[in-house]
Amino acid sequence: MAGGLSPAATPGAELGVRNARRGQRAAWLLLGPPSLVLTLLFMVPIALMLVTSVTDPRLSLAHYQRIFTVPLYTHVMLNTFVTSLIVTALCLVLGYPVAYVMTRRTDWVSTLLLTIVAMSFWTGFLVRTYAWLVVLGSKGPVIAAYHALGLGGSPPKLLFTSFASTLGMTHILLPYMILALFAVMKKIEPDHLKAAASLGARPRAAFREVFLPLSLPGVVNGSLLVFVICLGFFVTPILLGTPRDMMISQLINQQIEELLAWGFASAVAVVLLVATGIILAVYNRFAGLDRLWG
Amino acid sequence: MGLSLALLVALFLLLPIAIVVPMSFSTAISFEFPPPGYSLGYYAKYFTSEEWLHPTLNSFVIALGATALTMLLVVPAAFGYVRYRFRGKAFVNLLMMAPLIVPHVVSAVAYYGFLGRVRLTGTLLGVIVAHGVLAVPVAFLVITATLKGFDRNLERAAMSSGAGPLRTFFHVTLPVLRPGMLVGALFAFLSSFNEAVVVIFIGGREASTLPKKMYESIRLESDPVIAVVSTLLVSAVVLGVLLSTFMRRRPANAT
Repeated sequence: MAGGLSPAATPGAELGVRNARRGQRAAWLLLGPPSLVLTLLFMVPIALMLVTSVTDPRLSLAHYQRIFTVPLYTHVMLNTFVTSLIVTALCLVLGYPVAYVMTRRTDWVSTLLLTIVAMSFWTGFLVRTYAWLVVLGSKGPVIAAYHALGLGGSPPKLLFTSFASTLGMTHILLPYMILALFAVMKKIEPDHLKAAASLGARPRAAFREVFLPLSLPGVVNGSLLVFVICLGFFVTPILLGTPRDMMISQLINQQIEELLAWGFASAVAVVLLVATGIILAVYNRFAGLDRLWG
Repeated sequence: MGLSLALLVALFLLLPIAIVVPMSFSTAISFEFPPPGYSLGYYAKYFTSEEWLHPTLNSFVIALGATALTMLLVVPAAFGYVRYRFRGKAFVNLLMMAPLIVPHVVSAVAYYGFLGRVRLTGTLLGVIVAHGVLAVPVAFLVITATLKGFDRNLERAAMSSGAGPLRTFFHVTLPVLRPGMLVGALFAFLSSFNEAVVVIFIGGREASTLPKKMYESIRLESDPVIAVVSTLLVSAVVLGVLLSTFMRRRPANAT
């Protein structure tokens, strides 16, 4: 019985040191094997890709030089950046009111919205991309409505454009934004708003001066999450977009699938990885990365 | 005004997904909405087509295998991470979260090169390994959160009543943590089941999954059977979400 009670229940400086040492050993016994496996099965593949990017077909930095000097590729980089910004902005504008209503209402409306957002969140990217293919397709409801309204001439081309790709990505990433906003907003004390009201603030002023500033961490988290996912978005730009306005992942896909250019594709992937890493490192410096996933 | 705006956005989220349901009962040979006629033809085709059933089975096998691998890595790691103070903690955290930080398309390129070298591209094992690793961060987040909320006095009480460490672990610690572990495993399963980038690169023909098959069916042939698959997947999601909403609204049943 005494043995069972001992270490945790009897504090003491000497025991503390011994515990700490025993703790180190136990910690590494538990963490060592998983860390080793993750290193072997994740870090090593990434490192090999880095090596490929400077050795395939021969040892040089030529791939990187091409990425940053050939207009075709700088255009891809710029287009990826701008598209991601647009999608992030759209998600924020569309997502904020939803998260706000979800937070402020306590009745069935809140449950309904949360249920819809959750359903959308868990529905796979492929299902939702396919759905947009139907909606925007030449035999889809939008074009049908165009004809029904008697708008003359040939209908606009919707599918396989940057518009379709941007719309699809916004639709897919919106739930991420809403959930990130909601996570922060639901912690805002309703009493703060009541206090503002009792001090004479109109609802609009109370929102602007109290709720909005307190919700900003959610805005930052959601925007960062959406932006970073968007930078490397694969399926939707390929299926809904156009090769004329490629995003980074379309370029990677094209280089591997059509040209079998391993070294160059790896270099593009490394650039994407570094860009993502820099953005997250900056966020980590100011807010701490753990908060992003929380 | 806020309310109507929110409901409009909710419709924007919902309607495009809902459209796959009527599409699945269509008689059209391409993606046509509204459908020219209704039948169960594409359901019959899905349930008899090896081309679709094989990836469906693969999806389940791979997701189960990946979940097992993820849990094998994450459960000991989470215990070590939450319960002990040690040097290099921040580094371990970064290592566990790395597959979430690295964009999936980058992991896909890396795995294509790596698995090619060890001759595992196009095999179930190759995809299981990749998916198992990629699901580590989400399971790690869930299970460390559960562990942080665990009241260690329960263990102390068991030990002081004479239970040994193993007995305490299996009779006290594990049962209390089980809901959190199950959620972690479920997230790992869904992460693999929905994963569509890495598997497109490394799955090949033999280890193709549903998302990969859907991707190829859109790109190459516009096969309307995809509407059936989408409808089945959406139904599963709707069922799951409604079930979890229903359960959350009855806190008395928490245990």
